[in-house]
Amino acid sequence: MSTPRIWISNDSPEVGEVVRVRALIEHRMETGLRPGTDGKVVPRNIVNEFEARLDGELLFTWQPETAVSRNPYIEFTFIASNASELQMKWGDDAGNIITGSKTLSVK
Amino acid sequence: MIFSKNENFPLAQRRQLLEGAALGLGLALLPTAVRAQLASPTPLKPASAAEVQAIIDGFLQGAQPIEKGLELEMPVLGDNPAAVPVKAKVALPITPESYCEELIILAEGNPRPLACRFSFTPLAGTAEVAIRLRLIESQNIRALARMNDGRVLMTHRHITVTAGGCGM
Repeated sequence: MSTPRIWISNDSPEVGEVVRVRALIEHRMETGLRPGTDGKVVPRNIVNEFEARLDGELLFTWQPETAVSRNPYIEFTFIASNASELQMKWGDDAGNIITGSKTLSVK
Repeated sequence: MIFSKNENFPLAQRRQLLEGAALGLGLALLPTAVRAQLASPTPLKPASAAEVQAIIDGFLQGAQPIEKGLELEMPVLGDNPAAVPVKAKVALPITPESYCEELIILAEGNPRPLACRFSFTPLAGTAEVAIRLRLIESQNIRALARMNDGRVLMTHRHITVTAGGCGM
């Protein structure tokens, strides 16, 4: 787990403007389907939960499964309505949680 | 004579050595994927059509899928199967009264066909997401989206990949 890299199309959008967000974290996304060097299956450890909120109000949740690539990438959009903080949270099988945020001011 | 040294070398032993060497060479030449499967207790196999259908039926919950309104944007040829960009977008207008509740993406040829699940709230005002998938072979990618009024939108696209990405 690492600090997330977050890109936002416009951090001072007009009301009603579509804001696009791209976020990436570093994570091995171990599938649990692969033998390690000792021949035993490497236990599964993937990011299994992601959520995006605006000032605590849920935008959406994402539940990745094993088919999602290493270093999971997520891009999404939302409509800007008021000045708020965009909060993002990732959680993996091992119980690690990381968060990232961006502050939005609305014109 | 050059080979005269070998005359006191027992023939049976020489043959064993030769066979051993041939076997060793053969193993070394096996494709990596096959050797990985030999070592793996559960070889990676694409999911059966029945498994995929069970996931689709579970999402439909008896609804009749509508084959428009949902778009999948992705390459036709995945040159890097470990990270294939896939974008799913509900093209219908999203309002607080009519919005997309849930969206799933299936990689039908992967060992675990359900790739991911999204749940949206009307606050987002859009339903557009992009992710990256790892794919074990050429296959269909399918997306299903459920609107809050119970309509289910469905679409799929085929992708050719050059090599499996699941072991990466």
